[in-house]
Amino acid sequence: MGQLKTAVIRSDLDIVIARTMARDVAKALGFGAIDQARIATAVSELARNIFLYAGTGNVTVREIDKNVRKGIEIVCEDQGPGIANIDLVMQDGYSTSRGMGMGLPGAKRLMDEFIIRSTENVGTTITCRKWRS
Amino acid sequence: MDSLRIPILKIGDILIASIQVALHDASAVQFKDDLLQKIHDTRAKGVIIDLTALDVVDSFIGRLIADITAMAGLMGTRVVLTGLQPAVAITLVELGLELPRVLTALNLEKGLTMMQRLTEESDDGSA
Repeated sequence: MGQLKTAVIRSDLDIVIARTMARDVAKALGFGAIDQARIATAVSELARNIFLYAGTGNVTVREIDKNVRKGIEIVCEDQGPGIANIDLVMQDGYSTSRGMGMGLPGAKRLMDEFIIRSTENVGTTITCRKWRS
Repeated sequence: MDSLRIPILKIGDILIASIQVALHDASAVQFKDDLLQKIHDTRAKGVIIDLTALDVVDSFIGRLIADITAMAGLMGTRVVLTGLQPAVAITLVELGLELPRVLTALNLEKGLTMMQRLTEESDDGSA
């Protein structure tokens, strides 16, 4: 298991910091340019959701291994309002704020695995992974 | 917090903005406001936004570009987007943002040629 890297999300500047961190880790793990862009874009969407809905939270990136395959795991955690209806937010075009409703379903399409755990008034944890081809 | 300002250059009737650094949300919104004001002040017929240097365009920036195109269009000004990297084009489409109403060109040079054609057409009153 690789080293953890964490970015704290408190402002829109931190969204750029988080996605740059994820891209750097992906590059170091040997992901190609297109996968680096997918990973950085997914982190940008998830970090923006933290900023817009919870105000603050953390994005953690680490290397993962499964049967000689290497990958990257991104965990986005906040103690925000939580998501009442996960199926609804995963629909394209659904948005409760300034977004286009692309954030979560878009991020999911860019990654290989995407898991949302959320409890209303407790917070949300989104774990997503991408495996190196 | 001071947001970073993107320089907007004027060449003839055309404005050119080359985005060279990763934009955070506030500086992207500032860019939209600056650009629309500059279109008004200079009566530019066209705007080229060059994204060659950007390695990430997320849904926020994608939506902003679509908004700028629509808003400039309402003011009678055409927008051409140039220099999207392959990885950016792929992630935008996978994200679900195909920007169907945004005109694009491979690079700044082709964008300028396209813009000259577009603005000449509108001079003829045929567009």
